[in-house]
Amino acid sequence: MPDIWGIGAILSKLMLYVGIGGSTGLLIIRAAFADLVSPLSDRMSVQVALLAALALAGSVLGFMLRGAALTGGPDGLTDPEMLGLLWQTPVGDVLVSRVTGVVLIIVGVFIPFGGQWIALAGGLLALWSFAQIGHVPELELKGVRLLLLLHLLGVAFWIGILGPLRTLSQRPEYLSNAAMLGHRFGQAASVIVPALIVAGLLMAWMLLGDLWALTTTGYGQTLLIKLALVGAVLTFAAANKLRFVPAMQAGDEKAARHLARSIEIETAIILVVLAATATLTSVLSLPN
Amino acid sequence: MKMLTIVALISALSTNAFAHSSVDTTKPENGATIAEVPSEISFNFTDDIRLTKVNLIHQEAHTVTLDLGDQTNFGRAFALPLKSMGEGTYRIEWRGLGADGHAMTGEFTFTVD
Repeated sequence: MPDIWGIGAILSKLMLYVGIGGSTGLLIIRAAFADLVSPLSDRMSVQVALLAALALAGSVLGFMLRGAALTGGPDGLTDPEMLGLLWQTPVGDVLVSRVTGVVLIIVGVFIPFGGQWIALAGGLLALWSFAQIGHVPELELKGVRLLLLLHLLGVAFWIGILGPLRTLSQRPEYLSNAAMLGHRFGQAASVIVPALIVAGLLMAWMLLGDLWALTTTGYGQTLLIKLALVGAVLTFAAANKLRFVPAMQAGDEKAARHLARSIEIETAIILVVLAATATLTSVLSLPN
Repeated sequence: MKMLTIVALISALSTNAFAHSSVDTTKPENGATIAEVPSEISFNFTDDIRLTKVNLIHQEAHTVTLDLGDQTNFGRAFALPLKSMGEGTYRIEWRGLGADGHAMTGEFTFTVD
């Protein structure tokens, strides 16, 4: 078991994943499917800002927890010497990227004209911060940071659809919007989701080195759990695309309720996937 | 609460893979039994590290934070003066910062008998 600072690091990383992935995902969905999600525009703006605020809190908390990890006690949370030390390392650079990114998201989302592009640029910068330090960037392989960024963009796109599609599915007056959104997302996802999974598996292979590490190390076991959960999410996603969305296109309101319920379960599993990822990236050392 | 439980369960899978420890050698060696309390302890790391805290725990009862003195720069070799606390088990817990920003932690134990 990690100590209390390790658990804190996992939770702050989870806040970052949910906050940055969720806000950037909503921005991507709003830009890509503006005509279909326009009834939710104001609501989505507030959600984006709240998720970005969560990411901001996670960024600062994560930085302070790193200070605590250096002293082993709560004094490190605000110790100027420890935080100053961290500031001089790549951890400080990452904090700057994240804070700048999420602030751009919050500011951009409320600017009426052109603001969404400012917010999207902020989301991209915040996502890029994950490629600045960590296990994958440390591989120092050509193109691996870009691969991670593409993986994260794919994840954000997937996370971003969950809220709007669920909300539209719950409102009978927007059944056609929900059906078309589900259909068009399904078309895009049939390319994006396999790509993000291939990118994820490729990075996992680079990190692990061999298959034995999957079962013999804590890192490998956690990765296996993550993969199993992703498999479960894919099952729900396939049911949504092949069963519920076509039924909704045919005007079946009951299918819309099933879709909303399916998305809720999918969201819960994705949260656990993100928690597993936060554990992998926060407290577990690579097998090699 | 549910999320906390999930995080704890996932984290519990690993028992010995935490942190990014890269200590190479220590003096006295981990697990050594020696006749007299050494005047200093030393660490050698495989990569540059900045020590941030070193605790001495004697007989699992008394904890003393060792003074880092002027050894507050990044380096690979460190030696800290040790205050004698008599016979018994000495456990040294150290924490530090890697040049890449990773928090590092580790410990070693020796016995004076």
